[in-house]
Amino acid sequence: MTLASLTENWKAFSYGFLDASAKREMRRKMIKAVAVPGCQMPYASREVPIARGWGTGGLQVTLTLLNKASVVKVIDQGADDSVNAASIRRFLTRVSGAEATWDTLDATLIQSRHRVPEEKLRSDQILILQVPNPEPLRPVEPNMSVARQMHADADYGRLWLTLYEQIVRSGRIMQGAAYPSMVNRRHVMAPSPIPRWDVPKLNMAEHLTILSAGREKRIYAVPPHTSVEPLVFDDVPYKVEDHGHLTCIRSGLKGFFMNEIPQEDGTAAHEVSDSHLGIKAIDRTSGEQVEFGETWYKDGEMQQ
Amino acid sequence: MTALAKQPPQLVRTRPLMTLNGISKTYDDVTALDDVSAQVYPGEVLGIVGESGSGKSTFLRLMNLQETPDSGSYHLDLPDLPDNLFTLDRFERRMLCARQIGIVYQNPHEGLLMTHSSSGNVAERLLIAGERRFHVLREKAQSALEASEFPIPRMDAPPIELSGGMQQRVQLAKAIALEPAVLLLDEPTTGLDVSVQALVLDTLKRLQQERRITMVLVSHDLGVIRTMADRVMVMRRGQVVEDGLVDQVFQDPQHAYTQQLVHAKL
Amino acid sequence: MAYVATRGGERAIEQAERLYRAQMGPIDAGTVAEIEAALPSLIDRVMGEASLYAPDLAALALAQSGGDLYEALLLLRAWRTTQPRLQIAEVVEPDQGFTHRRISAAFKDIPGGQILGPTLDYAHRLLATDVLQGDTFSPAPVEPARKPAPARHPSLAEWQKEQGLIADKPLQPVEKDDIPDLTREPLLFPAKRAHSLQSLARADTGGMLALGYSAMRGYGNAHPTVNELRLSEVEVMVRHPGGATFSAGRVKTSQAEVVTARGKTDLSIGFCATLGWNEVKVIAGATLDLNAPGAPKNSPVNEEFFLYHTEPVESSGFCIHFKLPHYVTFQSALDNLRAARAKREPAKSPVQTEEPA
Ligand SMILES: Nc1ncnc2c1ncn2[C@@H]1O[C@H](COP(=O)(O)OP(=O)(O)O)[C@@H](O)[C@H]1O
Ligand SMILES: [Mg+2]
Repeated sequence: MTLASLTENWKAFSYGFLDASAKREMRRKMIKAVAVPGCQMPYASREVPIARGWGTGGLQVTLTLLNKASVVKVIDQGADDSVNAASIRRFLTRVSGAEATWDTLDATLIQSRHRVPEEKLRSDQILILQVPNPEPLRPVEPNMSVARQMHADADYGRLWLTLYEQIVRSGRIMQGAAYPSMVNRRHVMAPSPIPRWDVPKLNMAEHLTILSAGREKRIYAVPPHTSVEPLVFDDVPYKVEDHGHLTCIRSGLKGFFMNEIPQEDGTAAHEVSDSHLGIKAIDRTSGEQVEFGETWYKDGEMQQ
Repeated sequence: MTALAKQPPQLVRTRPLMTLNGISKTYDDVTALDDVSAQVYPGEVLGIVGESGSGKSTFLRLMNLQETPDSGSYHLDLPDLPDNLFTLDRFERRMLCARQIGIVYQNPHEGLLMTHSSSGNVAERLLIAGERRFHVLREKAQSALEASEFPIPRMDAPPIELSGGMQQRVQLAKAIALEPAVLLLDEPTTGLDVSVQALVLDTLKRLQQERRITMVLVSHDLGVIRTMADRVMVMRRGQVVEDGLVDQVFQDPQHAYTQQLVHAKL
Repeated sequence: MAYVATRGGERAIEQAERLYRAQMGPIDAGTVAEIEAALPSLIDRVMGEASLYAPDLAALALAQSGGDLYEALLLLRAWRTTQPRLQIAEVVEPDQGFTHRRISAAFKDIPGGQILGPTLDYAHRLLATDVLQGDTFSPAPVEPARKPAPARHPSLAEWQKEQGLIADKPLQPVEKDDIPDLTREPLLFPAKRAHSLQSLARADTGGMLALGYSAMRGYGNAHPTVNELRLSEVEVMVRHPGGATFSAGRVKTSQAEVVTARGKTDLSIGFCATLGWNEVKVIAGATLDLNAPGAPKNSPVNEEFFLYHTEPVESSGFCIHFKLPHYVTFQSALDNLRAARAKREPAKSPVQTEEPA
């Protein structure tokens, strides 16, 4: 027996970049997060080679879950070819040898900033949402220690009050993205800045969603078949963005979340925000064989 | 306007609603309360007088379960409550206070969100208690504000834009929105103009007569106590020096300190 | 299908990085050595904020980032965090280091003496423009003192404790392996003392100065007096698997104690230490530490406030993240705005959106 046979050769970085102790902590915290849905678990949050605020929380989760058989999809604002998504995808494949894809149907891990894909996710897929601010109570209580106590007490009166105030002032709830939502009837979470359109997709879903804030060092999860209910009054229904009737000028798709593109003549055109869904639609029009997954929305209406 | 004539306390039940026993509270080296006990009967108004710093506000904060004393117990004679309310945890205290204990502070900043709407301030209490229907929040906030004689067209104005008297009415509406078992009032009219003070006292008096709310009223103003209270407790340096029926204590004060108070007032 | 903000993603980011690096040119061992030799203060500052004592790596990071301090820090932090933690060095007591500089503003003279050491404090800050004309700026040689200053110095606070001026709080002994490590655990509040000090040690110098300065100008509750400021070198004592303890080398450290007579009967004290020599940082940090007890929530001298907001990698990263597209969130907000407006004035809508097809 030689020393060389017992040890591994020196490498500048570990497989999947994070070292074993960091990954072990991540696994433990993810399990905790799954065990108490919607509850923010503090974690060390190591520095990774991209800047804080650029998806370092999601990246640490993906790096921990990755293996050589993984197929990763990375999107930013719904697009696979957005520069930051491209950068993260390149890093993930570089340090893991995992395969990359743009197609939601082929992915095992989907790391996303601000969107949930339009095609339904399956139980063998994990959605990893990058989170800038994990604390839904921040607008009513900037102090994190106090906010933690409020979660422990399910003390959400102030949060409800902000919704009341919005209706009184503007005639409707003005919360845009990151709509505070009650998970498993216990913890209110910030579902990351996904549009209101996407929040119902997390409710009683088949897939696991992990939300991770690298800079703020908090991780939380929505396990499969767990309720996610946007905070709304019983007599003031939850409203998703009014996009159901819009048509994508490139792909012809209709009834999905759209990007609004201002036009020089003062009007606005729309493009489907889930960019690869659009690509598939264009490919189909040009006669290619493409597979579409079932979508959460049909004809602009959420199917529950 | 409701007559200010005082009615004798109607002791519907003979068991006290609130019982505080042997309460002591120290901050660093200041003894704010030293072995204070009190009982309040259903429907009565207990007045507490005493000079500044005698521990009145501390006693009220404890009744509102905002703090925990060093020793002593606190019981409310309502169903399903423990013998000593100080054993409740934060969550249980919050729920109990939202439903059963209303408070009006001397300083409106302590009790109100100054930049939220007035109706929202009232609604917050209903939200804490679990009300999730917007139209019910509106209706209940409005009726509590009406009962506090707050001008309804201004119900969505933030307290910061209102006069001191109006701010106290918002606090009062918030306190009574859920028809609590007890209403705690800490110098509710101190700092208001005399005329405004009289109007707010009228409202309180009317509420007391119509709803028979049990009240604990703190004031350093003997006139206020005389108008409002059935019984009075005189505090000095964290201790109760004398208590009894208001007329009795004010006509025939036993303790030298009370005598001094009463004579200073005359 | 090409999208407005995202055209040619992969190629674009590749070329953008090349463009940046093209201005800096090649980097070799010589460049790194030159940076390390010529800019010791910058190296010290970067090592402190990176919490990684490695002058050559710090110089490399500065070279690689073209001198962008936050980029250099991120390179070092991301490298550091992947390194195994082999063991924890022996605890260093304040009086054990080789003291290069040690001053107190609280007394004219102090036991062990005031040691001025290396400093620019009394230099006239005249730009040596002659260098640009071809002259060499050569520092005049140092004349050794007749009697060298002692290498070690007692702590002034010890003397003050003996005098009863500073409360001699009982030590809370911790096994060194049990010292909480901020790089492996999240910072939570109320913070463990070890976490607070570690967090101050790796905080952003500029950020700490800004908040410390706000306290000094009166947004705090205590005016600091520099009780003792010390620049030293200390041995890093580690244990050989065979059992022997040996020095793995020396590191430069700075520490500051500031005091105030705010307390009733004794002096209150604030402390900050860091790797490398960085006086502004430790004085500002000690001032924040001094002001922290009992500070109102959400004030600049509240511990949660200043520790969160002086974390250089987090604050700089979040700041530049606003360059990322946010059009989904913007779209969501716009939708609300239009709907609310439509309720008010149902007739005219300023932006013509496409009619339903
Ligand atoms: N939170 C506190 N911290 C320190 N001392 C307090 C606090 N609250 C009250 N005290 C002290 O307790 C005593 C009683 O105060 P308080 O109950 O406000 O009296 P009162 O309302 O009769 O004027 C005073 O000496 C006051 O300074
Ligand atoms: Mg008081």
